[in-house]
Amino acid sequence: MNNLALKELLYKIADDQLILGHRNSEWTGFGPLLEEDIAFSSMAQDKIGQSQALYTLLHQLGEQQPDTLAFMRNANQFHNCILVELPNGEYDFSLIRHFLFDTAEAMRFELLSSSSYQPLAELARKVRSELRYHTLHANIWMKQLGSATEESIQRLQRSLEFALPYALGMFEKSPYESDLIAQGIFEGEEALAVRWKKKVEDILQQTSLHLPEWKILTPVLGGRVGDHSEHLQPLLDEMSEVFKIDPQAEW
Amino acid sequence: MASIDPRVNRLPEIGKPGLIQPKAPLDQLGTFEVFVQPKEGKPFQHEGSVHAPDTEMAFVLAKETFTRRFTCSSLYVVDTRDVYVSPITEGDRNVYELIHDAAANDHEKYTFEIYHLNKRGKQHTHAGTVSASSHEGAMAKAKQQFNSDKIIYNIWSIRTDTIRFTAAEEMDLWLTLPEKKFRDAADYKGGEKLKEFLKKTNHA
Repeated sequence: MNNLALKELLYKIADDQLILGHRNSEWTGFGPLLEEDIAFSSMAQDKIGQSQALYTLLHQLGEQQPDTLAFMRNANQFHNCILVELPNGEYDFSLIRHFLFDTAEAMRFELLSSSSYQPLAELARKVRSELRYHTLHANIWMKQLGSATEESIQRLQRSLEFALPYALGMFEKSPYESDLIAQGIFEGEEALAVRWKKKVEDILQQTSLHLPEWKILTPVLGGRVGDHSEHLQPLLDEMSEVFKIDPQAEW
Repeated sequence: MASIDPRVNRLPEIGKPGLIQPKAPLDQLGTFEVFVQPKEGKPFQHEGSVHAPDTEMAFVLAKETFTRRFTCSSLYVVDTRDVYVSPITEGDRNVYELIHDAAANDHEKYTFEIYHLNKRGKQHTHAGTVSASSHEGAMAKAKQQFNSDKIIYNIWSIRTDTIRFTAAEEMDLWLTLPEKKFRDAADYKGGEKLKEFLKKTNHA
C-alpha cells in the first residue's frame, strides 16, 4: 500500500474537518435562533471529533501526535480546500457552505466505507450517523430558506454563486489519484464530484435557487497543496493560541 | 415610527375607525413539543419545546436541543397546537375522575398517543395508544384502559398522524452519542485535576 498516497488522503480530509469545524464553531453564541445555535455548534464539534479520529490514523502511520498536527503546523502545511477556510460572513454563506461541503463529505465517507484500508473504512462507517444528521440539517435549511422570502432566496443565491467555484476546489486531484483508485483505497475525486453534482442539483431543484451551468465555473484550486488564501493563517493563530502557550500541558 | 420593541408595534391604534380585519399572524416561529425515548423499550417522555417554521425543521432542531448529551433511541415532535390537555389536579385527586366515560358508539377513526403526568412538576410520559374519533373520546378510552389505583394529575392526547417520528433509516442518528464524553462536564473530573495541580505546586 502506498503510504504517501494514503497519508495525503487522510491529511486533506482531516484538515477540511478541522478547519470547517473551527469556522462553524465561531457561530456559537451568535446563531440566528437558540435551537439553531446549538445544532450548528454540535455539528462543528462533530467535525473536530472526526478530524481527531483521522489525525489518530495518521499518527498510527508514523505522523506526529494529533494535537501537534492540529495546532503546530503553519498554513502552507495544511491540505484543506480553500472553501472551508473562508470567513463566515453572514449566515446565508455559512449555510450554503455547510450544504455544499457536507453533501460532499457524506458521499466521500460513503465511498470510503468500502475502502481497502480497513481503519479508514471502519471510521467511515462509524461517522455515517453523524453525517446523516448534518445533511438532513443542511437540506432542510436549503429547502426552507431557498423557497421562503425574496430576501432569503436572493441571499442564498448570491452566496451560492460565490461559493460554487470554491466548492469545486474540494475535488482538486491528488498527485496519487491513480494509486488510490488502483489500490481500492478511494474511488477518486472525479467519481466523488460526479455524485456530488447530482445530489446538489437534486436538492436545489426543490428550491427557488438557480444553479449555474457547471461548465462556466472555474474551480478555485491550491488548497490541497498548501497554497491558501490569506484567511487561513489568522484562523490557525487564533485556534492554537492557548495550546502554544504550553504545548506539553495536560488537559 | 416603528418601535424596536415588538410589543409596542403590536398595540392597536386607539379609536381609529376602520374595517374589521383578521388578527395579525404570528411574527415569531411557532412551537413544537419534543418527546424522547431515552432507551429502547422505555416509554417516550416529554422533554420540552422548540421554535421552528415547520414540523420537519422542528425535528432537526429538537435532535440537538434535547438529545445531545444523554442516551436516546428515538425522538418525535408535534405541533404544540396538536397536543390536547385535560384539566389538571393535585393532592390525591385522580384526573380520570374528571374525564367522562367512553361513549359506546365512538367510531375509532384515528389513533391517539396518551401521555400521563404521574407527578406534579415532572415530565409527561407515554401511557399507551388508543383508537377514537376525538380527543375527548381518546381520553375516555384512556380512562378505560390506563386508569388504575395510581393517581394521575394530567393527561395529554395527540393524534398519531400529526407526529413526525424518527424514520427507520434515521434510527442510527444517536450512534456515536455515548462517545461524546466531552459534553459531560462530570467526565472532565475538574476536582481531581485541581487536587493534583495543588499537590504538584505545594511540593514544588
